Amino acid sequence: MASTAQPASSLKRRDAPVTREGDQLTIIPLGAGSEVGRSCCYMTFKGKTVLFDCGIHPAYSGMSALPYFDEIDPSTIDVLLITHFHLDHAASLPYFLEKTTFRGKVYMTHPTKAIYKLLLTDYVKVSKVSVEDMLFDEQDINNSMDRIEVIDYHQTKEVNGIKFWCYTAGHVLGAAMFMVDIAGVRVLYTGDYSREEDRHLQAAEMPEFSPDICIIESTYGVQLHQPRHVREKRFTDVIHTTVSQGGRVLIPAFALGRAQELLLILDEYWSTHKELQNIPIYYASPLARKCMSVYQTYILAMNERIRNQFAHSNPFQFKFIQNLNSIDDFTDNGPCVVMASPGGLQSGLSRQLFDMWCSDKKNSCVIPGYVVEGTLAKTIINEPKEVTLMNGLMAPLNMSVHYISFSAHADYAQTSAFLKELRPPNIVLVHGEANEMGRLKQKLITEFAADGNTKVLTPKNCQSVEMMFNSEKMAKTIGKLAEKTPEVGETVSGILVKKGFTYQIMAPEDLHVFSQLSTANIFQRITVPFNGAFGVIKHRLEQIYESVESGTDEESAVPTLLVHKLVTVKQDSEKHISMHWAADPVSDMVSDSVVALVLNISRELPKVVIESEASKTEEENEKRAEKVIYALLVSLFGDVKRDENGKLVISVDGNVAKLDKQSGDVESEHEGLKEKVRTAFRRIQTAVNPIPLPGS
Amino acid sequence: MGTSVQVTPLCGVYNENPLSYLVSIDGFNFLVDCGWNDLFDPALLEPLSRVASKIDAVLLSYPDTLHLGALPYAMSHLGLSAPIYSTEPVFRLGLLTMYDQYLSRKAVSDFDLFTLDDVDSAFLSITRLTYSQNHHLSGKGEGIVIAPHVAGHLLGGTVWKITKDGEDVVYAVDFNHRKERHLNGIVAESFVRPAVLITEAYNALSNQPHRAQRDREFLEKIVRTLEGGGNVLLPVDTAGRALELILILEEFWAQRNLGYDIFFLTYVASSTIDYVKSFLEWMGDSIAKSFETSRNNAFQLKRVKLLINKMDLDNAPIGPKVVLASMASLEAGFSHDIFVEWASDVRNLVLFTERGQFGTLARMLQANPPPKAVKVTMSKRVPLVGDELVAYEEEQKRLKKEEELKASLLKQEESRASHGVDNTSSDPMVIDTTNSNAPPDVAGSHGGGYRDILFDGFVPPSTSVAPMFPFYENNTEWDDFGEVVNPDDYVVKDEDMNQTALHVGGDIDGKLDEAAASFILDTKPSKVVSNELTVQVKCSLIYIDFEGRSDGRSIKSIIARVAPLKLVLVHGSAEATEHLKQHCLKHICAHVYAPQIEETVDVTSDLCAYKVQLSEQLMSNVLFKKLGEYEVAWIDAVAGKTENHDMLSLLPTVSTPPPRHKSVLVGDLKMADLKQFLASKGVQVEFAGGGSLRCGEYVTLRKVGVAGQKGGGSGIQQIVIEGPLCEDYYKIREHLYSQFYLL
Repeated sequence: MASTAQPASSLKRRDAPVTREGDQLTIIPLGAGSEVGRSCCYMTFKGKTVLFDCGIHPAYSGMSALPYFDEIDPSTIDVLLITHFHLDHAASLPYFLEKTTFRGKVYMTHPTKAIYKLLLTDYVKVSKVSVEDMLFDEQDINNSMDRIEVIDYHQTKEVNGIKFWCYTAGHVLGAAMFMVDIAGVRVLYTGDYSREEDRHLQAAEMPEFSPDICIIESTYGVQLHQPRHVREKRFTDVIHTTVSQGGRVLIPAFALGRAQELLLILDEYWSTHKELQNIPIYYASPLARKCMSVYQTYILAMNERIRNQFAHSNPFQFKFIQNLNSIDDFTDNGPCVVMASPGGLQSGLSRQLFDMWCSDKKNSCVIPGYVVEGTLAKTIINEPKEVTLMNGLMAPLNMSVHYISFSAHADYAQTSAFLKELRPPNIVLVHGEANEMGRLKQKLITEFAADGNTKVLTPKNCQSVEMMFNSEKMAKTIGKLAEKTPEVGETVSGILVKKGFTYQIMAPEDLHVFSQLSTANIFQRITVPFNGAFGVIKHRLEQIYESVESGTDEESAVPTLLVHKLVTVKQDSEKHISMHWAADPVSDMVSDSVVALVLNISRELPKVVIESEASKTEEENEKRAEKVIYALLVSLFGDVKRDENGKLVISVDGNVAKLDKQSGDVESEHEGLKEKVRTAFRRIQTAVNPIPLPGS
Repeated sequence: MGTSVQVTPLCGVYNENPLSYLVSIDGFNFLVDCGWNDLFDPALLEPLSRVASKIDAVLLSYPDTLHLGALPYAMSHLGLSAPIYSTEPVFRLGLLTMYDQYLSRKAVSDFDLFTLDDVDSAFLSITRLTYSQNHHLSGKGEGIVIAPHVAGHLLGGTVWKITKDGEDVVYAVDFNHRKERHLNGIVAESFVRPAVLITEAYNALSNQPHRAQRDREFLEKIVRTLEGGGNVLLPVDTAGRALELILILEEFWAQRNLGYDIFFLTYVASSTIDYVKSFLEWMGDSIAKSFETSRNNAFQLKRVKLLINKMDLDNAPIGPKVVLASMASLEAGFSHDIFVEWASDVRNLVLFTERGQFGTLARMLQANPPPKAVKVTMSKRVPLVGDELVAYEEEQKRLKKEEELKASLLKQEESRASHGVDNTSSDPMVIDTTNSNAPPDVAGSHGGGYRDILFDGFVPPSTSVAPMFPFYENNTEWDDFGEVVNPDDYVVKDEDMNQTALHVGGDIDGKLDEAAASFILDTKPSKVVSNELTVQVKCSLIYIDFEGRSDGRSIKSIIARVAPLKLVLVHGSAEATEHLKQHCLKHICAHVYAPQIEETVDVTSDLCAYKVQLSEQLMSNVLFKKLGEYEVAWIDAVAGKTENHDMLSLLPTVSTPPPRHKSVLVGDLKMADLKQFLASKGVQVEFAGGGSLRCGEYVTLRKVGVAGQKGGGSGIQQIVIEGPLCEDYYKIREHLYSQFYLL
């Protein structure tokens, strides 16, 4: 897991970190690491960075509620993926977008985006903190809307080489699990998910590909849920008994998510029980009422059941449920069912009703989900004799209290079945209280990691997890270059084109066919004043260049010279010669030398030093070359000596390389040095030796 | 080496017939689109009938008759049984379109090519995908990935991308590049340089006026007619372009606060709009945005009233009104009847928003000059009365009797053969079937069949003498703990939630509007009465193009941008097809095909390719140069084997200097950009004649050679720089080089 590569030598330093860093995938939970709340998970691989979720911690306020954004550089993040609209998954987004250097793209599903705005606007309004403590205001939320892009389930998007798509996650409307694919390494981030289909949501899908890493929630750890029909029956039974005995039912619930599921259950129950239909159901949440249109619209994000019902009538246009804006609109005469927020009975409408009804034993209170420690709802689950009302007085608690959990998080059975089918080699647990997570880890290890191929990790906040992925780079050779598949040992030369994480090798002529790049040839034509005889030029050129071919121009029939098979010199007129060639470093150099030569002739300066052929022996030539090579190697590597066999011994930082000047072979213990010396020698040789003729 | 691709048109080439093409990729046969026209001529489907059984998958691109109309017929009569893929709106609106077609037809004729059940069962096998969802086929199509992409034109409209081994085959017809009120345009960037592009020439010769101007003209004409006391009829499709028109009218009416009524009249109008309201994800950005920020659903219609019955229209307050009614062809549906009623009044206006299908009434009326009078057939389904009813009933009775006779004969024979006991109605055990709850018309056909059984599903065992209740011997197993039980028997079935779902829905036929439903269920004996009449066409007839397809020029530029290696042209008049073919041959690519019906063209790419692994040693020495979204480098490598010897691997060259290669300049030089660049570097530049650039006093730069091909299809650029020997020359050359990457 952790990188084990030995410290690289100073020589290899330039290359080494590039490949190592490239193969290392790092995951850092910036929030929700061994805790519940402020989900935020950072992942980087091959220079691409993804951030999953961007929530706040509901238990804290102000800056301390944020995930640890200081740990990372927001400007390096390419994509931010939001799984669903809950505050602990999305609420720090306006801050992150507006107050940090983050410039990447943000994606969420259509329903999430629509509810996100309503929910956060409401959150800003009701949160009672001082102006300095405000992380963002309504304007920031509105601004953030323009930067959020939408993604549909299964739709594949690609940003900067990062491919990603999402699956339905159950949990709430619009909840998604994101699969990210960077250079063939796949990471699944579940967010909050539920594998149990309910009245309106599909169960979390099973991805068709197994990911290399699965970052999974662990809220419920090793606990097991009651089967759905059991808790639904308990729920409807409690309500039915209470109202038929003339009592009132209070359901304190968070405005969005589970509340809609409960309303569907109630509406359906009422429609099948005629005797109840004169008993009103009230739903008291202005926010939820606003969100109702979102539920009525994004039917496609729900399950088949809702879609079939939709064929007849919109199931979210409730027949038996009335909206209630405030307690003033409510006339308390006889049995009724009221669903009101907040879910913890801290204050607001649900508390007002509780205070009114708690001392009558005909009444009931149904707590339908997870309740936070320290709230009144948590207190009354234990059914105390007395409770404190909002006005400070004590009152007897006579109403019956029922705790029926409708929480849409996966329980142990679901998590284990999900992972069993998915079989990811690496499991990272997030979004779970530390103890619960520890138990889950132990159980998963016994179940999966027995074979030693599965790793289960539980990083704390800001603790990074590193994994190595040696991704093989595959290239596709196409076009003219691929007309014949090479045998082992044959050379392949061409242009390697990289786009995202795909590689193609092609001949230069094919570049414009297979990519949107184009190639160019630049032809140069330059006129140089010269009024001497053309023959002189030829003579001089022959002294420098191996190949000077005479010819005549086809159009104007003037004499031409083709120097080094690259540059054509043409006698345009008595006073000018022209040269033309196709641009390329060698041709440019040849042409420069020709120009220098011609200018020298016309200036009638002392001739270019001509070394007579005879005066230069092969031996001398070689000696000079050797000297130059030696000098250059010394300037490059410092310590260069000759050994008894005529080899050059180069030592750098205690590593030794032996170079055979004739063959160019290098021997060294150290791979990096060997490669360096070989490259250097090759380059020096090309510089020292004459330029080979093209085509030779 | 490349993937084998063949295209065979089955319908809709060199003319405007419905679209239907066979594309086979390495032997896997795709039927892309399965269209029919409003005339429902089975002759058109003949080529399809020959190949229907060989088809492995069907891809649908638009929810209109021309693209999916033949699906129910092909599934029920031609033996088509492949899985079908489409987007959610194409599935839903396509289904509604077919309902509307069926009901419109059934109302005026004894339409029997397919039934509503055929429609339902055909659409039941559709797999729904979202845009840019990569769906991996399995089984025979292993390795093939299909993905729908946004196409504009109609809601849910799709450009199909079929990928195998990294080669793309793109099917793009009827697309629209412009953003509209409710739709986004095509994104050509999502499928650049496919191996094969199949597109159409339908609009290759058309030009469109500016959108704002067109909208103004459209609304002006309507308002003027209404102010003159006339009615406006817009013949529209069931669930396609009608949506755009509704939005235009809705918006304009709200803006001007006009009081005239607008009606949208099809057999499925209200369900159409209900569904469309839940398709916001599939619509344009502006619609989605308005919903996200203010929860304004654009299809929450305030002005346009939805009707599913012509009676409601007749009962509407008298006065000028606008009616959008299906079918667009005027061949059938409400539009046909309304046209006949309104055509003779000079004040009225019939406004066509799309070109009528060939051979239909709409097409005839769009002729220039329009005909003075047209012959139409008015048909009506009327309940039988008087003698006819008596005759019908007698006929039914006779049939019933015959059946009964047959059944009793059969039964007698059976009982005699089995146990020789005659179960006559005098037998006290037999329940009189006439008292059963079965509806009388159903009982009519099955009546006799119930005689010898007490309850459905209970057949007297052949060994028993008289009917008896079944008796099962209780042979349970016991072990030390008692009776052995199967735990599954005691699991509480997860049913309670679905009960209601079952009794409210459970079928896919969706919400048929009450009137429509009553119409189908109405089994009252009826007959079709037709009479031919000649309608004097006195009302004004106008055609304004609201088809929402790209025009000729845009099609050309989009094809150039997509830059396919091979191009197949379909759908469009012979003239348009030929025109586009010539254009593309000249400017875009060398391989353009326009096959005839049932002519198979082989568009297998002649591309050679093989895969290699890039070894780590090689890659560590490669220095990439970044060029836009590409990174390029020159590599010299030696082929080797990978560790497990199953692939070629590229290793760095071991020998000293690698073979010298001709240097390559990579980059796309635009003369105008270069001019700006040089100017910014303080060089005096100006364009001289012939597209050459004069730099400084002496140096000229120009592009020569094949400059004709535009866009991605360009070959190698040839640039000439000329000048006398001077400092400027080298400076400018340096600047020119800086525009390229040297490899």
